[in-house]
Amino acid sequence: MFHSQKHVFWQALLITILIFSIGIVLGIVLENWRTSKISTLAENSQLDFLDIKLQSEIYSNEEFNCEVAVNENFKFAEQIYEEAKMLDRYESASRLTEDLKLQHKKYDILRGMLLINSIKIKKQCNSDYYDIIYFYKYNSEDLDLKAKQKVFSRILEQVKETKGSDVLLIPIAADNDISSINLLLDKYNIKQEQLPAILINNKIKITEIQTVDDVLNYLN
Amino acid sequence: MPEILPYVYLTYMFISLYMLSFFLLIYIRNRKTFFKYPHPEKQYTISFLVPAFNESATLRDTIEHILNTGYKNILEIIIINDKSSDDTLKIAKELEIKYSIVKVLDNPENLGKAGSLNRGLAIAQGELVSVVDADSYPAQGSIDKMIGFFNDPKVGAVTCPVVVRNRKKFFEKLQAIEYKVIAFSRKLLDYVDSIYVTPGPLAIYRKKALYEINGFDTQNLTEDIEATWNLTAKGWERRMSLATEVSSTVPDKLKAWFVQRRRWNIGGLQCIYKHRKALTKKGMLGWFIIPFFILNTFLGLLGLSIFFYLLTTRIISNYLLTKYSINAQTPVIVLNDFYITPSILNYLGIILFVLGFAFTIITLIILKEKIIKKENILNIPFYMTVYLILYPFIMLNAIWHLIKGKRIWR
Repeated sequence: MFHSQKHVFWQALLITILIFSIGIVLGIVLENWRTSKISTLAENSQLDFLDIKLQSEIYSNEEFNCEVAVNENFKFAEQIYEEAKMLDRYESASRLTEDLKLQHKKYDILRGMLLINSIKIKKQCNSDYYDIIYFYKYNSEDLDLKAKQKVFSRILEQVKETKGSDVLLIPIAADNDISSINLLLDKYNIKQEQLPAILINNKIKITEIQTVDDVLNYLN
Repeated sequence: MPEILPYVYLTYMFISLYMLSFFLLIYIRNRKTFFKYPHPEKQYTISFLVPAFNESATLRDTIEHILNTGYKNILEIIIINDKSSDDTLKIAKELEIKYSIVKVLDNPENLGKAGSLNRGLAIAQGELVSVVDADSYPAQGSIDKMIGFFNDPKVGAVTCPVVVRNRKKFFEKLQAIEYKVIAFSRKLLDYVDSIYVTPGPLAIYRKKALYEINGFDTQNLTEDIEATWNLTAKGWERRMSLATEVSSTVPDKLKAWFVQRRRWNIGGLQCIYKHRKALTKKGMLGWFIIPFFILNTFLGLLGLSIFFYLLTTRIISNYLLTKYSINAQTPVIVLNDFYITPSILNYLGIILFVLGFAFTIITLIILKEKIIKKENILNIPFYMTVYLILYPFIMLNAIWHLIKGKRIWR
């Protein structure tokens, strides 16, 4: 005589919940590991920046060593640029947690600090390198805007490749509601609707797609 | 939309994992009795119904195969010619002359398969009635390995695996894999009293049960699914004998395959609508079979919607990116675009794919499918990806046809 085994429905559900929960927990562990890796890098960068600031303070009281200050600033810009790239990759793969968004804000503030420091050093040292600040939108799902920003990034990457250490490239997310970044936007008269925007040496503002050569022309 | 996608993917993964665990659990518990079948307590009298529409190429062989099953108590084989335009009627008449148990009914007009079966059922004399498609060949000994299940008076229908006879072309081989997986999972569903179809190539019914449901529904495009649901609703049990098989031909062209599957889908939707009230009643029809069909339809359509959403956004994004890249004279694609950091969903997806692949391999090994030894094993991942992905498209087309009122067989 046949006996139905309907209890399998419940047993399978329990097994599925168990396996699935393990998968989710492992996922959260993976994402937390990535967050903690980025967090450590951000903290190290913060320390590095404080170190640079302190160096500047020491020099300002005595003879200011421009070469060292500029090099340190460039080195730091490179460092956080690479770290931010890693952050972007991790963020695009983040599905269960949102902690990386906080790390992104940290990097935006760090970049803001870098910019202010760079302006100060340039003034003090009369340096002729170019500051290129790239303000972009971080929280938009607009396909047109995303495509535009991707192309802006590529233009700037090519400019950086061509000009090397003549250019200090600082990309900053401009819509993360960070007061200091908002202040910068006000200072340079950049509205949210104008984003993405490239600012060269705090003077030339580019909000429409241009060729790499056009952008390079501004630097010559 | 992008925010909810990970949760949708996780839901799909959960359901897939559940079905895998469900099937695996049933198999592990019943593996020793998987191929067993009860020996019949009596030699039931049996009437075969063979509906035929333009089946001149295979009808003769089908009848020969029925006779060669070796079952001793075949009362009659009733061929119902459904207004064929080829030599079907002529061949049927020849067979009637050759074999005394063969009877021929000639429909005055095209009645469809269900209508033809009902005509045959009306004159069938056996305690059991077996339906055999006119292009299907029951294996030797198949009836003996199936009728033992009727020892249980609650059993109203018995089915067996359908295997693919024509399997030279790649597309036919994919269907061969599919049919094996279907047979395996149907046997597993047997253990939870949830067989939802007794397919046309070979099914045996208790005549009393068929009378109770007033025969086959002529309005439904899948009379076999509908009859099974109707039997389930009336409390009749369905069993599956994995010890035998019936071979059948499958479409060798994509279009014919698509039309066949669309018919199956329309029939399934008709069944859901007809039996919707069972959802509120006790029994596996309302508790599992109908929700399973509805969930399948819903997930298929949702998956298709997501697919189109992603495809559209990707096309628009790529168009805009190309346009702006050309304006800026920058490369459209850079090496970084190929650098992917895997998310947890990617990992879970890969694990699930591997599990699904393993399930298919296990199925084929258990059912002693020759693909494992003699054919290209890479057919399996192709079947799991490209072939199965076509399902929701068929479903969408079926719904469209149903809305338009195009309920045609072909």
